[in-house]
Amino acid sequence: MATVTIRHVTKTFGENTVLREFDAVFGDGEFVTLLGPSGCGKTTMLRMIAGFEKPSTGEIYLDDTLVSGGKTFVPPEKRGVGMVFQSYAVWPHMNVFDNVAYPLKIQKRSREAIRTAVEKVLEAVHLSRYADRLPNQLSGGQQQRVALARALVAEPKLLLLDEPLSNLDAKLRESMRFEIKEIQRRTGITVVYVTHDQTEAMAMSDRIFLINRGEVQQEGSPADIYNRPNSPFVADFLGKVDFFSGEVRQGEIVFPDMGGQSLPYSGDRTGKVRVAVRPENFILCDDGPMEGILETWYYLGDVNDCRVRVGQTIIRVIAGGFLYGTLRVGEKVRLRARDIMVFPDEGALEEILSIQT
Amino acid sequence: MKGTGTLEREARTGVRTRIGLLICFLLGTALVIGGLQGQREQAASGFESEGAYQAIYALSGDVNRMEQTLRRDLESLDESERMAAEAAAREILTAGGQDGAETMAADRLWKYAAVYEAVNGPKVGARDRRTLTEMGAAAGETFRREALRRLSDESLPLPEETADSFSGLEGSAAREMLLQQIVTSAAAQEADFTEHINHLKKNVRGKDLQKTAFGMIAEGSLNWAWKTVIGNSRTVILTGVLLMLDVLMLYLLMRAERNWRVDLKWIMILGIVDFLLVFQVVPVVYMVARAFFPEGSFSLETMRRLFGYALNGEALKNTLIASFATMILGTAIAFPLAWLVGRTNLYGRRFFRALFVMTYMVPPYVGAMAWLRLMNPNVGTINQWLRAAFHLSDAPGPLNVYTIPGMIWVLTCFYYPYAFITISRAMEKMDPSLEEASRISGASPVKTILTVTLPMMTPSLIAGALLVFISAASCFGIPSIIGTPGNVNTVTTRIVEYTSLGQQGMNDATGLAVFLMAVALAILFLSDVVLARKQYITVSGKSVSPAIVDLRKARLPLTVLVGLFAVIVVALPFATILTTSFKTDVGKSMWAEGNFTLGNWTAIFSRAETLGCLKNSLIFAATAATVGLVISCVMSYLLQRTSIRGRGIHNFLITLGSGTPSVVIALGLIMTMRGDFGVNIYNTAWILIIAYLIKYLMMGMRTVVSAMSQIHVSLEECSQVSGAGWFRTMTRITGPLIFPSIAAGWFLIFIPSFYELSMTTLLYSSTTKTIGYQLYEYWTFTSQPMSCAMAFGILLIVILLNFLLNRLTKGEFSI
Repeated sequence: MATVTIRHVTKTFGENTVLREFDAVFGDGEFVTLLGPSGCGKTTMLRMIAGFEKPSTGEIYLDDTLVSGGKTFVPPEKRGVGMVFQSYAVWPHMNVFDNVAYPLKIQKRSREAIRTAVEKVLEAVHLSRYADRLPNQLSGGQQQRVALARALVAEPKLLLLDEPLSNLDAKLRESMRFEIKEIQRRTGITVVYVTHDQTEAMAMSDRIFLINRGEVQQEGSPADIYNRPNSPFVADFLGKVDFFSGEVRQGEIVFPDMGGQSLPYSGDRTGKVRVAVRPENFILCDDGPMEGILETWYYLGDVNDCRVRVGQTIIRVIAGGFLYGTLRVGEKVRLRARDIMVFPDEGALEEILSIQT
Repeated sequence: MKGTGTLEREARTGVRTRIGLLICFLLGTALVIGGLQGQREQAASGFESEGAYQAIYALSGDVNRMEQTLRRDLESLDESERMAAEAAAREILTAGGQDGAETMAADRLWKYAAVYEAVNGPKVGARDRRTLTEMGAAAGETFRREALRRLSDESLPLPEETADSFSGLEGSAAREMLLQQIVTSAAAQEADFTEHINHLKKNVRGKDLQKTAFGMIAEGSLNWAWKTVIGNSRTVILTGVLLMLDVLMLYLLMRAERNWRVDLKWIMILGIVDFLLVFQVVPVVYMVARAFFPEGSFSLETMRRLFGYALNGEALKNTLIASFATMILGTAIAFPLAWLVGRTNLYGRRFFRALFVMTYMVPPYVGAMAWLRLMNPNVGTINQWLRAAFHLSDAPGPLNVYTIPGMIWVLTCFYYPYAFITISRAMEKMDPSLEEASRISGASPVKTILTVTLPMMTPSLIAGALLVFISAASCFGIPSIIGTPGNVNTVTTRIVEYTSLGQQGMNDATGLAVFLMAVALAILFLSDVVLARKQYITVSGKSVSPAIVDLRKARLPLTVLVGLFAVIVVALPFATILTTSFKTDVGKSMWAEGNFTLGNWTAIFSRAETLGCLKNSLIFAATAATVGLVISCVMSYLLQRTSIRGRGIHNFLITLGSGTPSVVIALGLIMTMRGDFGVNIYNTAWILIIAYLIKYLMMGMRTVVSAMSQIHVSLEECSQVSGAGWFRTMTRITGPLIFPSIAAGWFLIFIPSFYELSMTTLLYSSTTKTIGYQLYEYWTFTSQPMSCAMAFGILLIVILLNFLLNRLTKGEFSI
């Protein structure tokens, strides 16, 4: 399979820099996700790998071959890459079989070889029965799988996926997620996946590149960036999080807005800090260091979504579903926190978190 | 979740509406019966035309008042004098062969006398007549009193004021002249009396009929309602039939919709249906009937005669060859052009696009005029260049516009934009990832065009091609300007020629028109089927701008090529029109000694006739556009927002109208709008406006419909939930949102109506000439340079309007 090497790639459209100094190596057989809010430059990066856009500066290598950079530019059809588009891009004038067979026909494979290969890949995406259908007779999910089969049929070294699930409904999206992951695991293909959905990214990726405003904010495994975000933005973008202002004082962080209550801290930051805690990391318990009053309590089945007032601050707490009925609104509760994330206080939080679209 | 109260209320509304409908239906029936009765009455009376009744009614009013005047005069006489005058009048009438005058009651007698004398009496000399009519009320009274006395008493002197008329008259002749003068004097009070009498004379011929008419006038038996019915029996029948049809449709629709509330929506819908029925369906049906039932029974005589005639066969062949070649050539030009301009990094692609689209708005006859100047075999500019460049002899040629290839070239120049617009629209709408998917699958750009782009474009390509074909086949302007001098006949020029050849000619014109219409509609249907079956256009939400293909080394050469094409097809003709408009002698160069003149321009701006035509064009086009827009808005609402059954019928009819060749529409209107079917708008502005509407309504409708389809219905529903009615929702929510499209739709109807020629040629009258027709007249009969000046003026107006539209819609629309 293939590696993708991206060297200092910058892309500008006129005055507008959409991607700045992207530098990375995607390993062989790796599932890499480019994650970020819309307009962050992730799709542009993918299209540069595919060859639909040229980098303004920098180089891209597939394996050891330079495909973009300097005077070299290999057009998309010569890159041997598979790609699935957000709009599926299934050709409406061809039936499922012809759509999938197209890359092989271009390669002038024998009729028999084409048939075998197409049947095999249709089997893999559970579309064998639909080979003769026209795309307008298929559902969105089925069209999606046609697109996937077409991208895979020529056994490319690299598969590029551009928000492939964003047009599907929630249930289908979840099952397709596992199907794609399963295919990748079976074929060992290198996958570059673009999405703005952090759950999708978490569920599928070996490595995530979180991009904002054209710059990589953090890269790492899903667990890494979820639990050890390097900035409030990353913490906020991946999952639910509450931010509190506090000050480090001798092994604890004191929160002025919580009536001066504090949490224990053993890190090495000092002075004013911004503390981020994910709601599921607040734990209701009898011996917690903080005390508050239970304001609301929503039972969601698997969990309880609660609000606890501590001083002037409302804290969101996600408690296990089994706790339902053990506490009543208005009661005093005690809280413990784990995995708290502490960032230096850099001023207006809204600005840091704001998502440029 | 409806409460019982609501249900009850709805049931009550239902019952009320049904009763209302029944009453309307009965009213319609009554109108039809009344109209038929009126027709029968008219037939029985022997009067030939409905005009007789109108005259009788008008006169019965006049003579009523005259009788009152006379009665006052008579009452100022003695009893005996009055009786004597009356007896004298009786004598005169009896002598004139009016039976029953002896026994007539006095009031009837004088009325009878008035109208009898006005029609059959001796002629009063012109000077005396003036004396009588101008003598004033008091003097007139005295005159009449004296004259009435003299009527029975020969011993009295004849009136001096009007002595001239009596010279040489004696006895009864003098007496009759006297009575005539009395009537004339009394009539002086009635402004329209003479006109009504003339109307009567024209419509009632023969002694017996006149007697009947006089009797009816004196009787005053024709009341207003009856007069309306008899005098307009056809219109009454038409109204009745429409009313019945409307009620029936309304009932069926309401039953299907389960909505018994009558609101504005329904009335507008039915209004449009009626309009289309009367002005579109009736003419078409009538023409088909006329073509196959020329004498009331089925016969193929017309068709046989038509196609047995060599000239027609040739015209047909010419039309088919020219249209087919234009279609092929036009599409072959349009597709690569659309691709280059829409999907590549050609230099100045936006400019080129605007330029090619703009030619769509240029009247075809302007192109014909230009190419005639350029490729005239003797003095054509291009021919002169070519002869000079290749040192050819001075013999005519090498190019000759007056031939079929010449015509094909001009047709192509002016109809390829139709295909260009259709194709480039589809191309720009196409989801670019469809092509990218092909590239990433390993296909080269060329292979991608062949296997993905082209097949995806096929429906639009076919639709565009068919549009070119049908436009070329229906075109009148170009063949009439180029074909006629070159003796190249086409079906349209034959039709127009036939219409000026009397009854037989009309029959033949109808035959050809029906044939042309059948071809046009068959093609329209075909194109619709193609588009409906294989509508591939996919609109994706993501990449808004289509992927641009890098032409690399071919970029400059291709730009030059496209630029050259633009020069030949757009710049050259327009420049020719402009330079010709400054020439005195069209054959010489503009810079030749004494050939440059501004006279043509000052002439067109100073001639009252030209300005009048311009005013006409502006008014007609604006009316057509405004009415058309109202219809378009209602129609798009119907199509996009309701599921009312039968809403497709409107759409179908409107599409049908625009697909019908102009010449055919005009011919149909000429034959059916002269009163035979209850509507008489012949020779009025309305017949032109209606023709424009039928032809161009679809342009406006399509624009508004597509805009409406992009506004989600929830916006309207939200307004309705907020308590606004249908009308308020339309004016406050939907209207403002689709305003740019409405403006665009208005201009799309206005512009072609403004310079229309084909239909105007057949439908204009001396008071309703338009600028397009004026230009055509100048070109054919007066002065080509002046005509060119007008053409360029029209061009400027069109460009200006386009600019205005662009501004008005903030760049969203231009043509």
